[in-house]
Amino acid sequence: MKRTPVLTLLAGLAVAAVLLVMSAIAANKPADDKVTAANELPASTAAPAPTLSPTPPPTQAPAKVNATWAGVVDGGAATIAIAVKDGVAVAYLCDGKKIEAWLQGTAAAGKLSLTGKNGATLTGTFGGGKATGKIVASGKSWTFTAPTAQPPGGLYRAAQFVNSANVVCGWIVLADGTQVGVCTPDGKEPEPAPRLDVTAARPINPQDPT
Amino acid sequence: MTSNLKLLSIPLLAGAAVTVALGVYANLHTGTGVAVNVAGFSSPQTVKVWLASGAALFALVQLASALAMYGKLGPNPPAWAGTLHRWSGRIAFLFAVPVAVHCLYALGFSSFDSRTLIHSLLGCFFFGAFTLKMLALPKQGLAGWVLPVLGGLVFTALIGLWLTSSYWFFTTFGVKF
Repeated sequence: MKRTPVLTLLAGLAVAAVLLVMSAIAANKPADDKVTAANELPASTAAPAPTLSPTPPPTQAPAKVNATWAGVVDGGAATIAIAVKDGVAVAYLCDGKKIEAWLQGTAAAGKLSLTGKNGATLTGTFGGGKATGKIVASGKSWTFTAPTAQPPGGLYRAAQFVNSANVVCGWIVLADGTQVGVCTPDGKEPEPAPRLDVTAARPINPQDPT
Repeated sequence: MTSNLKLLSIPLLAGAAVTVALGVYANLHTGTGVAVNVAGFSSPQTVKVWLASGAALFALVQLASALAMYGKLGPNPPAWAGTLHRWSGRIAFLFAVPVAVHCLYALGFSSFDSRTLIHSLLGCFFFGAFTLKMLALPKQGLAGWVLPVLGGLVFTALIGLWLTSSYWFFTTFGVKF
């Protein structure tokens, strides 16, 4: 009778072990072709030759993802940027006028998974110098393919206290220098953002977005 | 006091080991973003939200049945209060385990805002505190306040976990299945 607490602990451990094994099987199924993607290596059609990689292939612990992608959604209605540091991802969707959405989540094993306010979600894959996927925000959905952004291209964010209101601005800077951004005062509608001086600004840090 | 510490030394060490082990694993293991899902729910997140809510509900039963066992809800508590306490605790724990496995395996320790940081810390603490409570239960000669305090820690941790996950989810995304 006095042993039942220990049995409870062991039962929990057993359930955890079974679930871990099942999760490992679920995670490893698609992992084979995602290993290179996780490291953002250029896509190669041939199997990696041993001479090319002096370090062992990262099958056990894929390196944490660091990347930024920026591009226009299919149809051209808005732009999107995704910034990732050590697997922590921040995405911003913006049309430069009224629509904007901030999302947070993860980028690991070639997969993007982010969520934001009001049910916004972003799911997708990355690898070979681009990210593709689907984003749902403000009750609409867009598909996108965004190439890797080269500085100063990327995602910028600024939060400031102006006229007794918090104002959050977001900018996406594309490869050709185009800027798309809005500023949203607390509880008000977004308005087009002023031009960002990319020589002075620093891109967003996904691990500390504010 | 010293006899309490002596009796609790192994449970305390075991609980601390569980908490540290979970924290270290969650930090070192890279979140896969993938884990087993349960049929019938729209995403692994909603599964977790509802499992955690189930655990929190049974935790409330835990609080009520414990109060009854200690005669706080009136003298002469019914004999089934103890049985109810044991079984509601087992069920709450079994609801919490799959949630923890998904958190640890698919997401890992996270500190990118205060909610995820508090949740990560409480998650590691909860399973250590639960281990301590379970291993302390069979010990004889403990002071009367020990078990209520340990149970209170476990209960508070679980409610904190629920507030930083399911409650946040319901208020951010709405009630979804």
